[in-house]
Amino acid sequence: MLNPIVRQSLRLAAMALLASGGALASPLARAGDAKAGADVFKSECAECHAVKEGRNKKGPSLFGIVGRKAGSVTDYDYSDALKQSPWTWTPQQLHTYLSQPAKIANPGTKMKYDGLTDATQLDDLISYLDTLH
Amino acid sequence: MLPISNRRHAIRAALATLLLFLASTAAHAIPAYARQTGAACADCHAGSYGPALTPYGMRFKLNGYTDTDGKGHKIPLSMQLIESHSAPARGDSSTQLSEGDLYLAGRLTDQVGGYVKIEADHTGHNTYNTRLSNIDLRFVAKELKVHGKEALFGVSVNNSPGFTDPVGTLPAFSTLVRAGVTGTLLNPSSPNSLANRVIGASVYGLYDSNWYGEVGTYRSLPTSQQDHLGYNVAGDPGRLSDTGYVRLAYMKDMKRQFFSAGVVGLTTKRQLPRSGPSDDLTDLGYDLSYQYLGNREHIVQVAYVNILERRDYGSAPVIGGVQARDHGNVHDQTASVTYTFRQSYGLSVSHMKSTGSNDVARYGPSGSPDTTSNLLTVFWTPFGRDDSYTSIANLKLAANWFRFTRFNGRGDDIFFAPPGARPTNAGDLNAFFVTASLAF
Repeated sequence: MLNPIVRQSLRLAAMALLASGGALASPLARAGDAKAGADVFKSECAECHAVKEGRNKKGPSLFGIVGRKAGSVTDYDYSDALKQSPWTWTPQQLHTYLSQPAKIANPGTKMKYDGLTDATQLDDLISYLDTLH
Repeated sequence: MLPISNRRHAIRAALATLLLFLASTAAHAIPAYARQTGAACADCHAGSYGPALTPYGMRFKLNGYTDTDGKGHKIPLSMQLIESHSAPARGDSSTQLSEGDLYLAGRLTDQVGGYVKIEADHTGHNTYNTRLSNIDLRFVAKELKVHGKEALFGVSVNNSPGFTDPVGTLPAFSTLVRAGVTGTLLNPSSPNSLANRVIGASVYGLYDSNWYGEVGTYRSLPTSQQDHLGYNVAGDPGRLSDTGYVRLAYMKDMKRQFFSAGVVGLTTKRQLPRSGPSDDLTDLGYDLSYQYLGNREHIVQVAYVNILERRDYGSAPVIGGVQARDHGNVHDQTASVTYTFRQSYGLSVSHMKSTGSNDVARYGPSGSPDTTSNLLTVFWTPFGRDDSYTSIANLKLAANWFRFTRFNGRGDDIFFAPPGARPTNAGDLNAFFVTASLAF
């Protein structure tokens, strides 16, 4: 017979396990592979975005993108749609934005991107973007 | 026996086409575009130095050279210098500054952009001939909707049919020219070719990002204007009428891979010489291309072009006592494979074949204009990538082996040397040359 303290501990452990299982099932919480994400970046993003600080291409520099307020690179000429957006580029916001065509995610944006539907590649990409500091 | 005049003509044609080939190794790498867009040379060109385009480079061209990083106007000027050492199989080796180019290239507005190349070619004895090379001035209407799909429409004023094509496999844009005694209208290395000696306009459209169509028409420049623009009037394409160009291609960009399949046509009535009878010439061709781009570490580009020209001559003269045929055809084919490692190191192999119907009066005693040649190139481009010292200028060092296996339909004694004279074999036209190209 287990004493109440042990039973309570087991219940908490089971809940934590379930919670972590649930988290693993969510694409938002999957830890991506940043190294693989660098390859995804080269295929999907690098023609229009540089990772070097202060270097804009057709799109703004993605240095420090994770955690940055949308439309905040000072020397880049954003669309009004992005300038007026209230977003901050958290991993969750990037996931939402990049998993669908940009024109649907942010009508009026200048960005021409059809979206990345491969969830693994998207997680890898966001993990890579998170290293750009 | 080939008449003396025909033999001289054949030799001149062979040398001219070979020289043209050497000159055509000039690439279309335009650092002014890199400054304008903030992009690296490698974004538009797999080997960081043109002309072969990546899908991104094709989109830039389709957009009328107007894409920008939004940081105001840049000076739309670039230069290219090419130092070359050539070592022909027969003849003296030489080293010279073989070409200097000035590019006026960039955007004027969000809808208007262009490309103009002024080229100075070494012609021997420290002299250079300056000429107006390709021009392509565009107006483009972007981000339109047709039946719910994205569409783009543009107008181009240009001077070479096929140069405007986004895929870049057609002879007018590719550096792969087929040296030979004759060739199709779409081939800029053909004798009396249209390239840069005509002026015309085409309208083009891109539907749903994949379907490309273009129609255009051209007329030849008066010989006096050709002369003023730096061209020897001996290469006059003649008086052209009813000239039409049409192109349809399907292009699929899958980010890591790309493929295209297209058809092309060019038709004209040509009077050459201008006071002479009119020939009906019609080119019909198709091309296929594939690119493996992956993460850009290893890039493979494969292209195949097949163009057939039908000729109905306006006259059938007697040349050297032989009656010329009143019709014929010419068939140009090119296959090429290029591998590029880390957007800097490349190996390219090309096979070029030109054949035509037999005509002893027009092509000499062999009666055949058939030419087969190969080109092997290795190159290194140290700059032009996002992670290199500079991403907006570049140097290209290339070693090229150009090899003929057939000329005038023959491998040996291609010019029918008279008894006692040393014969010229197809292999005698082979050449090895090294080039150092600098674009900034």
